Amino acid sequence: MTGLVTALGSAAMTNTIEGIVDNDVLLVIGSNTTETHPVIGVRMLRAVKRGAKLIVADPRKIGLTDNAALWLQQRSGTDGALINALCHVILRDGLEDAAYINERTENFEAFKESVQGCTPQWAAEITGIEAKDIETAATLYARADRAGIYYTMGITQHTSGTDNVCALANLALLTGNLGKAGAGINPLRGQNNVQGASDMGCNPVYYPGYQLVADEGNRKKFEEIWGTPLSLMPGLTATEMPAAILEGKLKGMWIMGENPILSDPNSSHVKKALEQLDTLVVQDIFLTETAELADVVFPAASFAEKDGTFTNTERRVQRVRRAVPPPGNAMDDLTIINRVTTRIIGKGQHSSMDAEATFAEITRCWPAMAGMNYDRLESRGLQWPCPDKEHPGTAVLHENMFPRGRALFTAITWKGPDEAPDEEYPLVLSTGRVLYQYHTGTMTRRSKVLEESAPGPYVEINPEDAEVLGLVDGEIVRARSRRGRITLPVRITDKVHRGMVFMPFHYKEAAANLLTNDALDPKCKIPEAKVCAIRIEKMTEAVA
Amino acid sequence: MATIRITIDDNEIIAEKGLTILEVARRSGILIPTLCYIAGTRADNPCEICVVQIVDYAQYGLTSTLSSEGLFRACITLARNGMEIHTNTDEVINHRQERLAILSQTHFGDCKAPCNLTCPGQINVQGYIAHVAKGEYEEALRLVMERNPVPFSVGRVCPRFCETRCRRILVDEPVSINHLKRFVADWCMAGNIDLGIPKEKPTGKRIAVIGGGPAGLSAAFFLTRKGHDVTIFEGEPQLGGALRYGFPEYKIPKEVLNYEINTILKMGINIRLSQRWGKDFTLQELRDMGFDATFIAIGAGIDQPMNVPCTDKEHVYTATRFLHMVNEGKSFELGQSAAVIGGNNIAMEVARSLLRLGVQRVTVIYPRARIEMPANQRNIREAEKEGVQFLLMASPVGICGLSETDSRLKLDLIRMKLGEPNKRGKREPMPIAGSTNSLNVDTVVSSLGQLAVDGGFSGGALEKALTISPKGTFVANPRSSQTSVDGVFAGGDAATGPKSVIQAVVSARRASLNIHSYVMGVPKKPAESRFNFTRGRSFDDVALKNFDDVEIQLREKMPERPPEVSVQDFDEVKLGFTEKMAHREADRCLSCGCTAFDRCDLRRLDIDCAVNINKTGMGKVPNYPVDEDHRAIRIDRNKCIYCTRCVRSCEYDALELKVASFDDKGRPVGLEIIFNENCVSCGKCVDNCSTGALNKKNRIVPIQSEVVTDVHTTCPYCGTGCQLDLKVKGKTILEVTADPPVIPNFGDLCVKGRFGHNFIHHPDRLKLPLIRRQKGGILEPAIWEQALDFMASRFAQILGEHGADALAGLSSARCTVEENYAFQKFFRSTLGTNNVDHCARY
Repeated sequence: MTGLVTALGSAAMTNTIEGIVDNDVLLVIGSNTTETHPVIGVRMLRAVKRGAKLIVADPRKIGLTDNAALWLQQRSGTDGALINALCHVILRDGLEDAAYINERTENFEAFKESVQGCTPQWAAEITGIEAKDIETAATLYARADRAGIYYTMGITQHTSGTDNVCALANLALLTGNLGKAGAGINPLRGQNNVQGASDMGCNPVYYPGYQLVADEGNRKKFEEIWGTPLSLMPGLTATEMPAAILEGKLKGMWIMGENPILSDPNSSHVKKALEQLDTLVVQDIFLTETAELADVVFPAASFAEKDGTFTNTERRVQRVRRAVPPPGNAMDDLTIINRVTTRIIGKGQHSSMDAEATFAEITRCWPAMAGMNYDRLESRGLQWPCPDKEHPGTAVLHENMFPRGRALFTAITWKGPDEAPDEEYPLVLSTGRVLYQYHTGTMTRRSKVLEESAPGPYVEINPEDAEVLGLVDGEIVRARSRRGRITLPVRITDKVHRGMVFMPFHYKEAAANLLTNDALDPKCKIPEAKVCAIRIEKMTEAVA
Repeated sequence: MATIRITIDDNEIIAEKGLTILEVARRSGILIPTLCYIAGTRADNPCEICVVQIVDYAQYGLTSTLSSEGLFRACITLARNGMEIHTNTDEVINHRQERLAILSQTHFGDCKAPCNLTCPGQINVQGYIAHVAKGEYEEALRLVMERNPVPFSVGRVCPRFCETRCRRILVDEPVSINHLKRFVADWCMAGNIDLGIPKEKPTGKRIAVIGGGPAGLSAAFFLTRKGHDVTIFEGEPQLGGALRYGFPEYKIPKEVLNYEINTILKMGINIRLSQRWGKDFTLQELRDMGFDATFIAIGAGIDQPMNVPCTDKEHVYTATRFLHMVNEGKSFELGQSAAVIGGNNIAMEVARSLLRLGVQRVTVIYPRARIEMPANQRNIREAEKEGVQFLLMASPVGICGLSETDSRLKLDLIRMKLGEPNKRGKREPMPIAGSTNSLNVDTVVSSLGQLAVDGGFSGGALEKALTISPKGTFVANPRSSQTSVDGVFAGGDAATGPKSVIQAVVSARRASLNIHSYVMGVPKKPAESRFNFTRGRSFDDVALKNFDDVEIQLREKMPERPPEVSVQDFDEVKLGFTEKMAHREADRCLSCGCTAFDRCDLRRLDIDCAVNINKTGMGKVPNYPVDEDHRAIRIDRNKCIYCTRCVRSCEYDALELKVASFDDKGRPVGLEIIFNENCVSCGKCVDNCSTGALNKKNRIVPIQSEVVTDVHTTCPYCGTGCQLDLKVKGKTILEVTADPPVIPNFGDLCVKGRFGHNFIHHPDRLKLPLIRRQKGGILEPAIWEQALDFMASRFAQILGEHGADALAGLSSARCTVEENYAFQKFFRSTLGTNNVDHCARY
């Protein structure tokens, strides 16, 4: 998010899901789309059937690679080098859109200089991709009328996550692929309402609508809307919170609908921190691993038991409707928040806005949603920005102007991942999802069809590495990193290249995030969940 | 955009050029039926249902290729300027009928299960058994109560018409359907579960129900659901009628009955007790009170007299009066022995009650053979098991008092034989001349049938205007439930004579529909079509091949008190299934009915086009076994009509249809439906299947005529924001589908979207707040007030001691926009800190 805000001035998929079939070229990087976003994956495959060229950049052989015109198999954590090299080739061969750069961007010269040395040969060394493939990819992408970039956590969950996103923005700006249909730069949100939660300022530095907390004018505006003075102090990010607890600065936490013990890197560290809290309040639909540590657990409602909206990855605000009542005494989250608020502000004062009234207040806070209301959302969703009641919503962002005026080229110097493989931990671990499971599995593992389809954890390892280690397919091994160890079966497959292993992170019985690295991106504080160094041990050798 | 002008069924339409007739019609809201159409694809073996007639087709260069001259497939024929198109001419309809008949001839399966069809209440039996199998007891009971508001009683006393037709009989024994109904009712009673049965908004109409027995209570229930204001006038001091005063407590415990009645009354029904019709009020007075309609449901509580000379009335009772006294707890001097005259169900209850009241020897006397007794054979067996004796082929001719012997009464009998068959083939019993005999007893109870009205009855002019049948019932039109007096309806035993409880419920339900349409001045909803594909109407018609893979598993045995113990008191004899037994029994259900019942296009079009499959034919034997290999989808090729929509709707090329050959009518022979390794179990093929050939395995409750709400919402998984339709019944989501015209997914979903929602009703869901009062202690259930106070005081303490920045919140990308907004607002404005974040914000 920080990357796109820096470069363009707003953070969201610039184009639409419907428009994917109109792409001439699709660059899918760090996204296993057919498994993580299957319906979007279907649109991509339809585009390919229509004749679009698909470039997949992924360390792992994924569903899309079979349909790709070109598969770039970069080493994990080298995306920045690959993207810079693509930009280098485009500039070297004069394929950039000079008029666009001139009219709509700034800081081009500094950027141009920064990729001067990023030759395909240089990148080939780092990424392991052949130089000519990098050149082919750059040419394919740059020559297309409409080329779209699609990425997910494979790009962002790195210490260089922000840089990677800025680098992708550079690539799109260089070729004028921002601000038109069938193109753009498109982060695919992994969860139903990542976009909405981000939009709503569940973020220590932004008020709702990406309005900086540090900005005096914004503070005044929200003090007026909420009728109370607001704090000037910048807040802590989620990834900084565990350390703050262990330092004794943070005493109480309220966690709503998250299970950081399973979803966050170096999860034993997170667990240790949460156990130190004076008071931990967890609100969820199941007694998650995190809820088990809580002092108070609030039973919440699932999506089918409440009214409200989710904002999808293409900025489309869509209604969620109550279909059944919550079980037992469970309550929807909004009511719980209202009740807690009433208790804290004291008796006599009530905070009891329902979903529709809350939504109405939101539209007063953020001009991009000012034109929305539940009546308009009744038949179909609306994509922000939707500034007034007559506005039909915006399918393609930045058609005439960027929120920050001109888009910013960013000079990016590629840095490797925080933790490189070494003799002790020789393998690079990457984590991800599988089609049949979702996140920490609290929902999917309780659905029969899904759980039976993907019932347990595994680690994918290349046949050559397996031979060196003397492993047979299905053998139970121990995977160990500097932060933890887990036991799980191996799957020997050429989906991963030599030196790399892959694990889905859904399974608590072998939680991949016990191994992963919680080193943070310095700008947006995202942890490097996608690359860390581990080793695989045969059980016979493994000693505690 | 170039446009053309055409007419369809005399509607002038301006349409985009280059579209097919079918597309033009759809865009103009004219429905041309089809079985094989998938936009953007072409069927190899077209269904030809979409045919239309084109006037002067030759001028458009068209040549007729179909068997019927002048008809063309709308799906492939381009609309041309000036075309005059007809979609409903006789030729078109004939062609559709022909095509549908051909397709239907090889379609093999049951639309509705035989149990469901046999139930007088047309209850979705298979549906509630499926709910039991899934552990959804509350939903099972709600499903039963859609059509039967007295399941607690019926679950104990039903004659079980359904079980006699259960296909499982062809394997081993029928499913114990009624015991399952009782199980779910009792389970809900044990948990005191509020069923939350919905009511429509008030209509302002007032309806009087005379009689608070099963028919009256049922009518009150159905009418209240419709939004009417109902008052029950009951002559007795308590509601229940035959359920309370007819069935003894060992059959229907009063505690259970009270709970059942309260469940109904909770809907908001007025009751007036101890109000005798004709004495305390009249029909005219009800009208004057402002009731818009009256329903007579007084049952049949008057015993037919025994026409034999009788010298001692003191120890001679009639059955209904006797049971009434038993149920009121009256004490009797019954002596050592008793005779019960008559062989109906009531006689059996009388006999069993006599045993419980201390009578040593109870003899049922009946003029025919045992098999001809009107009582349910099950009831006869139960009575016999408890020691009731039967004197058959005998009839009483007189009773006289005795003073000298041990017994009080002498019952004179004559032996009977069956006479020659009459015109209808029935053999009436005839006395055997000179065969007189006698039986000495202390008490005699006669049970010779019941009447609603015995001769005339008091009241006003309206009462006099009511027509009474020779059988002592109120004459009511069986279709309209109307009596001879306007606005006065009758049902239950009062109109039909003595029948089972479920039949009274059915009668009351029908009357309720009639009363509703009468008071609202709206036409009655047409009855549901009786159209039904069947694997065989009678057991003989059903191919045993259907059950090749079914392993024998006998029914669960109902736990019951041994007869020698149970006759000692009036406590319930049958103890009810345990949860495990109910599960095992529900698993025995063969799920005959089609779970695609609600979405089957073949059935819908057969009905719409009036195809009579009973004449034109349907599949008779299974040609293929049901294939359960796919993890999410059940394949029943016997139902496939080869529309190939599944293959053509699949985004992944995951489906292959193979056919060995086609028969002379173009139907596939030797069909294979294969899912290859491309399949990602997204389920789109099932949503596109035109019959029940493909079905979701997790969708085991057939949706029939009952109310199902489609709730349109957004998928809770990834960020695509697919739009879902949740099919909701009661408090349960039965299925998830997607609507093709809706952005952004246009009918596509992934496996999680269609199959990943079991978590919603999962037993692990948190249902109560939990508090850990001390570090290291355990999480204990609490009420909301406690949990909220606990949190608030802890947070207030931290706030006071360390300031707002010692508190932090983690919000969720899973929660709504509104919840996220409120959450950060709470931290920022209520607590005063910016320590708020969510885990997936990058």
